[in-house]
Amino acid sequence: MTKPTLLMKPMLLVKRVLPACALALGLLFAGQQAAHAEDDGQLMASGSSIRDQASLQRGARLFFNYCVGCHSLKYVRYSRMADDLGLTEQQVMQNLNFTGAKFDEQVVSHMPADDAGKWFGKAPPDLSLEVSAKGSDWVYTYLNTFYLDPKSPIGWNNTTLPNAAMPFPLWELQGEQTAVTKPGSGEVEKLELAHPGKLTPEQYQQATRDLVNFLEYVSEPAALQRQHYGIWVLLFLVAFTMLAYLLKKEYWKDVH
Amino acid sequence: MANVFVRIGDWVNERAPGLAPTYRKHMTEYYAPKNFNLWYYFGSLALLVLVNQIVTGIFLTMNYDPSAAGAFDSVQYIMRDVEWGWLIRYMHTTGASLFFVVVFLHMFRGIMYGSFKKPRELVWLLGMLIFLVLMAEAFMGYVLPWGNMSFWGAKVIVSLFGTIPKIGPGLQEWIMGDFLPADATLNRFFALHVIALPIVLLLLVVLHLAALHEVGSNNPDGVDIKHGPKGNRWDALKPADGIPFHPYYTVKDLAGVGFFLLIAAFIIFFAPTFGGWFLEHDNSIAANNLVTPAQIKPVWYFTAFYAIVRMIPSAFGTAVWGVLGMFGSIALLFALPWIDVGPVKSIRYRGTGYKVALTIFVIAFLCLMAIGMDLTDEYFPKIFGADIDITLWDNVFGRIMTLTYFGFFVFLWLYTHLGWEKTKPVPDRVTTHD
Amino acid sequence: MANEVVDHGRRRFLTTATAVVGGVGIVSAAVPFIKSWEPSARAKAAGAPVTQSLKKIEPGQQLIIGWRSLPVFIVNRTPEQLAALPKQDPRLVDPKSDGSSAEQQPTYAQNGTRSIKPEWLVMVGICTHLGCVPNYVGEMKPEPFDPNWQGGYYCPCHHSRYDMAGRVYQGVPAPKNMQIPPYHFIDDTTVQIGVDAKGNA
Repeated sequence: MTKPTLLMKPMLLVKRVLPACALALGLLFAGQQAAHAEDDGQLMASGSSIRDQASLQRGARLFFNYCVGCHSLKYVRYSRMADDLGLTEQQVMQNLNFTGAKFDEQVVSHMPADDAGKWFGKAPPDLSLEVSAKGSDWVYTYLNTFYLDPKSPIGWNNTTLPNAAMPFPLWELQGEQTAVTKPGSGEVEKLELAHPGKLTPEQYQQATRDLVNFLEYVSEPAALQRQHYGIWVLLFLVAFTMLAYLLKKEYWKDVH
Repeated sequence: MANVFVRIGDWVNERAPGLAPTYRKHMTEYYAPKNFNLWYYFGSLALLVLVNQIVTGIFLTMNYDPSAAGAFDSVQYIMRDVEWGWLIRYMHTTGASLFFVVVFLHMFRGIMYGSFKKPRELVWLLGMLIFLVLMAEAFMGYVLPWGNMSFWGAKVIVSLFGTIPKIGPGLQEWIMGDFLPADATLNRFFALHVIALPIVLLLLVVLHLAALHEVGSNNPDGVDIKHGPKGNRWDALKPADGIPFHPYYTVKDLAGVGFFLLIAAFIIFFAPTFGGWFLEHDNSIAANNLVTPAQIKPVWYFTAFYAIVRMIPSAFGTAVWGVLGMFGSIALLFALPWIDVGPVKSIRYRGTGYKVALTIFVIAFLCLMAIGMDLTDEYFPKIFGADIDITLWDNVFGRIMTLTYFGFFVFLWLYTHLGWEKTKPVPDRVTTHD
Repeated sequence: MANEVVDHGRRRFLTTATAVVGGVGIVSAAVPFIKSWEPSARAKAAGAPVTQSLKKIEPGQQLIIGWRSLPVFIVNRTPEQLAALPKQDPRLVDPKSDGSSAEQQPTYAQNGTRSIKPEWLVMVGICTHLGCVPNYVGEMKPEPFDPNWQGGYYCPCHHSRYDMAGRVYQGVPAPKNMQIPPYHFIDDTTVQIGVDAKGNA
């Protein structure tokens, strides 16, 4: 029987080539996706990867220590997050959930929206879809470009989102940056670390990378499943297409 | 076992004698030209995508909430809480974009090989109607997730109707049922998107196919096989260059379906937003009637027509000209069978002028698309330096492309009505097949 | 031409192979659509265990509470009602709940009273016939539907009858005893429904 071997050869080829192609194209699009926020080429690459579970766990810890006080994740359930991040119910309820919510409830911040509006001029946004809306590079850059600004009513400013209403919650980690302005104009030329924080600049970048990674996961938890099943679906379709093509070849022998 | 099937077949046949002949007429005894090439896959693929949209759409309605307060949340509910909801939604969103990819290519095929020409004018007109309804269907579907782009897209598109002198403003409010896109708008768009327009679409598709099967398919040579010699290996009275649709084109289309699904699955599983083209980033922000997104532009498949609106300035105190231009650009496609009256169908045997004009037309269409997507805003400074006047050059470029788009139809009219075209001799039989 | 002769075997093999693979594809593609009808994460969260205090339920009284959108009966059975239970055995379909009704209760409620504590009946109040909610007829007196009535449940839809432990009588349409949900006592007067003492839902 020669027929099965006829099928096997292209299958083997395809099994190796296809994931490689998928990966390459995926990277291409990931790259494109990253560049979408209204940037002028100034965004830093976040370098985050939702496949890196340890990074997701560190990011979650940062989020629940520094962000959840003001920002909710109203579409995210603790239980789903635990599953996807490889955490147990106990770990999540003891280390991450400080709001008294139940395990299968969503992440709501402590802060009443009315008060928040009063304190910051506007209520802190929900961050469930922040990375979907802005891109991971934008959020990463944003978290790295806070600086002390005496002219700002909250004392902080940001070069990525000028006049942001948010005070810098991670200052004790990064330290305090100050702006070096261009002579003549008030335009910020670069930021300098005036007072180091608890982390070295490299450690801080890794920390924000983890945080952005977590927010990226949060904006589309299905991405993990999507990529997992995707490879199998593609492999199946390659097999089907090969068969259909051979069938077409066979029938079209009739057509001269 | 086989006996059972035969008996069921006989039983049905006795009670509905018309079914088997109908099947034969459209499948086993529908003789299609044997020289279909790559361009001929897109018809069956469009049908496949239509089925996908209907099935996934039905399942989306099961969890979607068509209210201004609940729509956005319900989409996230589908994406996160409903088992496999994310897959069903991505199949629907990717399908929407691929529908237009396939339909654009299908239409281009028709133009290139003269499939709209006599005796297939009706097939073309029905196809254009499908395209029109499809655009309405896509627009309303785009509003349903109630993101900020949905909201502002709805507002801008509905405002197009507001430019009509005198009745415009009233018409606009009538369409929305409010003074802004609101609950009422979302409810009626939902009803139209999931019930009314799909019914119309299905009816038109049936008519499109019925009309096609009356006159028979065109082919890349533009040769009418019904007028050629008779007799093939299946039937002595049928066209010599024809082959039964089933099994030959069913198996061929099946291979095409496999390849198409491979591409579709790649997008669904690895790039569902397609870099912000299929699902826009600003639509991850809930509708907000106080904040317009920084870049307000339609989804990619509307951008060419939208660019025409932008490129035509207001005059005599009204902005209706741009809207007329946009509808005119589609109306001209409807009129194509009477604009291009050249006797030769296929581009293979048409004059050089036609080949050049069609190439330029495609380039103009793609450029208008790029302008509509604001790609020019992004790339002009990179190509020509940061200090150029983007608005000026965007307008100059866009207006030239708009004129080119309309110029194509003017040229075709002159070229074929005044007999300028020098065609090559058309062969009696089809020349190629794979 | 050389390949004028059709290789029917190959053709049939390829047709079958394509049909089988395509069929597998269609069936697999249907799975996510079918699965999307499962209770969503939100529905599951809403179906979380419920806690109920028993302090105000007098002997002989029934309280109905909601759990996963289902009515749950909580009854404080009187000694008379409990004493009548064993006497019903000959008239029941599955008195020990180990036959057709073996799956109708957690193992810790697979006993004569179908409960953790004899007096407290905690039961999903859904008739096992077609899903109606049976009426609680607790008094031990002759009823039109049964002259020897010893207390129990009577379904208004198709007249199925159950005893004071939710065990179904013979000769009625319902096939099984009513379901006992997982539950446990947090303390003497508080019960939690939806999860048992070991935490299994």
